[in-house]
Amino acid sequence: MDKELRIVGFLCNWCSYGGADTAGVGRFVQPTDLRIIRMPCSGRIDPLFVLKTLIGGADGVLVSGCHPRDCHYAEGNYYARRRLEVLKRFLPIIGIDPGRFEYTWVSASEGQRWQHVVTSFTNQIHALGPVQRIGRQSLAKACSLGTVLEPLA
Amino acid sequence: MDALFLADDKLSAWLGELAAARRVLVPVREREAVVFRPYAAGVTPVLDRQANVPPKASVFPASEALMSFRYTKNPENLGQVAVEVHETIDAPPTVVFGGRPCDARGFLVFDRVYDTPKIQDTAYKKRRENTLFVTLACDDPQNTCFCNSIGSSPYDATGSDVLLTPVSGGYLVECASERGKELVESKLLSDGNALREEAKTVHASALSALGPAWNPSPAKAKLIEKFEDMGFWEDVSAKCISCGACTYLCPTCYCFNVTDERTGMKGERIRTWDTCMSYLFTLEASGHNPRPTKAHRLKNRVGHKFSYYPEIHGGPIACCGCGRCISLCPVSVDIREIVRLSIERPTAKPENK
Amino acid sequence: MSLQDELKAQIVKRLPELDVVIGWGQGYDSLHRTPLFITSEADVDKLVFDPLCVHNLSTYLTRYGSAKRIGVVVKGCDSRSVVELLQEKLIHRDKVMVFGLPCEGVADLGKVKRALAAKDLDMGRVRAASFADGDLVVTVSGQEIRLPMAEVQADKCGRCRYHNAVIHDEFAGQPITEAAPDTYADVAAFEEQTLEERMEFWREQMERCVRCYACRNACPLCVCRDYCIGQSREPNWVSQRDGLEEKFFFQMIHATHLAGRCTECGECERACPVDIPLLLLKRKLGKEILELFDYRAGTDPDAKPPLLNFKVQEDTINERGW
Repeated sequence: MDKELRIVGFLCNWCSYGGADTAGVGRFVQPTDLRIIRMPCSGRIDPLFVLKTLIGGADGVLVSGCHPRDCHYAEGNYYARRRLEVLKRFLPIIGIDPGRFEYTWVSASEGQRWQHVVTSFTNQIHALGPVQRIGRQSLAKACSLGTVLEPLA
Repeated sequence: MDALFLADDKLSAWLGELAAARRVLVPVREREAVVFRPYAAGVTPVLDRQANVPPKASVFPASEALMSFRYTKNPENLGQVAVEVHETIDAPPTVVFGGRPCDARGFLVFDRVYDTPKIQDTAYKKRRENTLFVTLACDDPQNTCFCNSIGSSPYDATGSDVLLTPVSGGYLVECASERGKELVESKLLSDGNALREEAKTVHASALSALGPAWNPSPAKAKLIEKFEDMGFWEDVSAKCISCGACTYLCPTCYCFNVTDERTGMKGERIRTWDTCMSYLFTLEASGHNPRPTKAHRLKNRVGHKFSYYPEIHGGPIACCGCGRCISLCPVSVDIREIVRLSIERPTAKPENK
Repeated sequence: MSLQDELKAQIVKRLPELDVVIGWGQGYDSLHRTPLFITSEADVDKLVFDPLCVHNLSTYLTRYGSAKRIGVVVKGCDSRSVVELLQEKLIHRDKVMVFGLPCEGVADLGKVKRALAAKDLDMGRVRAASFADGDLVVTVSGQEIRLPMAEVQADKCGRCRYHNAVIHDEFAGQPITEAAPDTYADVAAFEEQTLEERMEFWREQMERCVRCYACRNACPLCVCRDYCIGQSREPNWVSQRDGLEEKFFFQMIHATHLAGRCTECGECERACPVDIPLLLLKRKLGKEILELFDYRAGTDPDAKPPLLNFKVQEDTINERGW
């Protein structure tokens, strides 16, 4: 595989973090692009965590929590599901491919499934390549072209 | 000094000459906003109206690093940390082209604060010295303009280095300071003495278009008198939504905030514009806020400009009359009206304590 | 009796029960209206209602303590903010009296500015303005210019489904019966661009942001204001640097905090002193929320906002398996 990219994972403490651990204990081979941040619950994941990460230069963000009906806090992942779905659909307007962000559900026993999720997501991000960042200076270009910015049609 | 003439079709050539050795900032249109941007060939400056954002950032950037620092741990004794500090001043030679007289005069208000015999702000001073103003006299002021009421005019060259006046076929170019001379040495400029009369007519008609001037100086005492009259301030601030548009877009507002931003062992000390319209401006570490409401904060903005500043600095008002705080306010708070009301409305007697 | 007179009579009648009524009055020139705070009958005479009354006055409702009884004059779009504030229990129904109006659309002063600039005229120099036969008639630099309202109307009015206040204690005038469909064509048109072009668009727009937070403070639903996470040091979501990342991330905060709540009144964009098209971000969220949850914010005081709610089995969201 080509050069490692930067992928951030927000994992719920009770299921997916355990699932990742299970995968590790089972010595399932996984790509190494993912950096994991442990969260108390997928319901704790503020969509801004994901946006900050992507705008800050991460090439992909993966959120994983307990399967629906299995939330440690009964309904945290139900709220997460709605928020994260809205977030995923929001990304295209700011010029970020929605494929750079996925959310899924992995239980603590699903080591093999975790391996599959990480591998698939990492492949998906590698197919997309490095993320474009808004922070690049565009000013010099805009001025040298003499561009007059037009209002939206 | 002789007056010179710049033909319309030589404008971009002259800008090109100026931009050869300096950063030249010109007003350009972006959607319906006019903002100052670095000039490059092909850019068309917008010279027929006032820019939304004044060229304040040319001398006083919205955010600037004052210094960078780095901590280094002593490997022998990890409790010992050394700090290394580098001053970072970015002051490229700059010409601000196409600002209005009010925009250039704004910096005179800054000078009394940042460049005094007692206190010298090195970053400010260096940029101030490196920045020249080629100002365009107004031929047709806007409804929100009131420079005539604060002791200035649409063609006041104070604070500018070169003054342009629109005349038929081009601009009359007049040197307004010693430093301006180096800018008008171009072969593109021809003799313009014959156009002086025409320029005077333009000036006079712009001034008369402003309507009658009013005198804000009684506000100096009246605003102090109304300091405790919170009923007055609640009334005039009722519609204020406490954003910072008025202060950030004001050519004379000079308040700043300093923050150390550190990542790991490295960081920068950053100075940013601050706004007295924000609750955070006076919020103290204890949680106490001496200006808890928007009435207190608006009182400060008006009071500072028309009373406290003239008191401290020997008379001049900290307002250049550009009217941006009125025209760009989302709810049309009108500082002229507040100053006038402060003078006209009787002050409520404080309740007996 | 004209609509304006009817409204005035209603305010005079109700004023004794109220501490203040918020309406619109004449601003600093003939093209500008400004929020008017009515506390006495004498103030009522200053009240104006016409297509230049652009402000959404419901933004003031959360700026008073709960002790005050406040009257507020609202157009159809503004009334949705009142409903949303009630849904979220940010205001109390018995403390707010709503003076509802029918509205045929307001002017977009940005468009007026553009229309005049096309004729080499400056909106800042307009000396007189009036309405006649569906035109905005302005006198500027000695010329009388007729601008058809259809050309200078705010975009939101052309796709308005709620011309009449959706909540009111008093309603002046006759309700407007037609309602335009909103197909989110603007969002679709923007998304015809490539991802790179879209981000480049935001680069160019955000470059001129001065971080005055007028967008936030004009918003009737951005109620944190003095305690906004965009300005907190701990956590430090946004740095004090003025790079595009900081400026843009603030808009991410603003947009995501309005997801499922925003009524698309457009005050963020109208308030922006440098004309950044901020409503587009909220429109995109509105479009997705509508598709996912068949929900329009601020139309039903008893509805629960979709992101404060869930279904065990969602109808429109597939389980995301790999």
